[in-house]
Amino acid sequence: MHAGALAAHEQWFSPRRVARTLVPPGLLRRIDALRHDDRGHGYDRFGMHRDWVALAAALTRSLYEHWFRVTAIGVEHIPRSGPAILAANHSGTLPFDAMMIWADVLRHTDPPRAPRAVLDHFVTKLPFFSTVFTRAGAVGGSRGNLHALLDDGELILLFPEGVPGIGKDFRERYRLQLWRVGHAELAIHHGAPIVPVAVVGAEEQMPQIARLKTPLFGAPYLPIALTPFPLPVHYRIYYGEPIPVAERYHPGESDVPAAVEELAQEVCDRVRALLELGLASRGEAIFR
Amino acid sequence: MSGVLVTGATAPIGMALVRSLLDDGSVGPIIAVGGESASRAPLWRHPRLTYVPLDLADARGLRQLLFGPALEKRVETIVHLGLHAAATQVGPRIHRLNVDSTRLLLRLAERHSTIRRFVFRSFGEVYRMDAAQPHILREDQPLNLSVHAPQWIRDRVEADLTVCTRMGLSRLKIIDLRFAEIFAPGVGSQLYDYLASRICFRPLGYDPMMNLLTLADAVRAIELAQRRNAQGIFNIPGADVLPLSGAIRKWGRAPVPVPGLLLGPLYRLRTLVLGTDFRYDLNHWRFHFSGVLDGRRALEELGYEPLHRVAWPGEGEPPPLQRRPESAAEPAMPLGARGSSRP
Repeated sequence: MHAGALAAHEQWFSPRRVARTLVPPGLLRRIDALRHDDRGHGYDRFGMHRDWVALAAALTRSLYEHWFRVTAIGVEHIPRSGPAILAANHSGTLPFDAMMIWADVLRHTDPPRAPRAVLDHFVTKLPFFSTVFTRAGAVGGSRGNLHALLDDGELILLFPEGVPGIGKDFRERYRLQLWRVGHAELAIHHGAPIVPVAVVGAEEQMPQIARLKTPLFGAPYLPIALTPFPLPVHYRIYYGEPIPVAERYHPGESDVPAAVEELAQEVCDRVRALLELGLASRGEAIFR
Repeated sequence: MSGVLVTGATAPIGMALVRSLLDDGSVGPIIAVGGESASRAPLWRHPRLTYVPLDLADARGLRQLLFGPALEKRVETIVHLGLHAAATQVGPRIHRLNVDSTRLLLRLAERHSTIRRFVFRSFGEVYRMDAAQPHILREDQPLNLSVHAPQWIRDRVEADLTVCTRMGLSRLKIIDLRFAEIFAPGVGSQLYDYLASRICFRPLGYDPMMNLLTLADAVRAIELAQRRNAQGIFNIPGADVLPLSGAIRKWGRAPVPVPGLLLGPLYRLRTLVLGTDFRYDLNHWRFHFSGVLDGRRALEELGYEPLHRVAWPGEGEPPPLQRRPESAAEPAMPLGARGSSRP
């Protein structure tokens, strides 16, 4: 086959074309207005591209609007600019909670911001997923990446519980797992506010019944869920008041374990309080 | 006026540097050192230029060069560019050229009465790249010290470390410039050779970000390093940051994703049949994981930032870039209006 024909064959798929078909003009305008450090070919240094952000918005739109019917509470707490960290509880077997927070922040911030979701290392080894997530703005969870993003004034979305959070048993739902402290260290170092985020609903979306060990791509396990698809639970995302880290800590305190642990514990407590608030107001209405 | 000694002066980057130094009236005598004999060396005549043919693996010759012509011309700066470019050539002689000559040149320069500065051309390939490493490579990123790394990489890491170990212990100002891939013919660019094929196989499911540097920016970085009173390790990024598939397409080639396991045998076969220089084992990691050099340190201390983009086929010679403003954000353009990545 001729080289040109092959090139054309691979280009039949255009994220821009798909996005323009599936995403309403208002949301496309928001994506156009995103702060984007274009390094000359439409990509930023991490590989994010606006067309792929639009494609991700298209792919998550039905989930966000119709399947999970996301309700956001407290979006005004998300900083309008500058480096900041969204620290959320993690759950649901597959990371739909990250996608819904991402979609929610994109819709509700003014000027629009697309949070940079932090991926576990094994995700960056996964073929296709690593590329698609990166194009939409996600980054591998190495310390260097996060420092670079905060230096650039980006909004980071991370889950301090990590894999133990998303992979916990159904009976453990809404019980926070070991709350790691790296986000607090980063926040103090960069003077970045932390916004506690609680996601209510995701814990019931895909009850996990088993885990299989897998040697592939360094994944910790292969989850086996009760349902092949997520249940249409009603997502409620609560954003708490930002913790003004720069006012309370000196950057040098990022090397003081007691200060870091104190801040991480405060974030954890605030997320827990938001979860309790959300669960109390939801009652038994998991799907409504 | 200070004199400059340039090794590897008959390679494209050395020639471009010598030409630029000759155009700079503030630079004194220039000693260009190359492997070719004087009659075959592709250099031009100039009253400030002296060409010295020398095999850098020849220790005696190096001594004679430094304490002969270099002393006589009162050379203040050594710009060491003379590393072996071809990835397919390996063995002890290549190691002597890449590593031992660097070590000896540095040691002799420390004892020299006129030499004050040692500028070393290193490579972004010295960094370790895997899923756990950052995509943005700062100077303190771990190096690839794997015993399984090919000699091409091991030599570069060893030469780089050899230079780094003398920083602060020597009276010389030592500058280690870790360049992004210089995308040009004849400079040992693996990607340039890879893109010589009409069809470029790449790992299925992976499309890492790459950073390409032009010869013009590489020369400018060396000139800035030669002028500034700086010392240390500096990443020298290029202006082009794009995914592997984007580079393939922009070069007018067809990217064909194939399972990663097939790429090694395919490209070994290509090397056997066509005698090309591209080796997949050298590029395995960066064809899976992104690695973009962070140039903040070079900007702050050398005043370097990339200003020249690669001249992609069909796009003509790109105009020089403007220096980036304080805010990194660029004005948004409507999705429908975008389509050209040209500045």
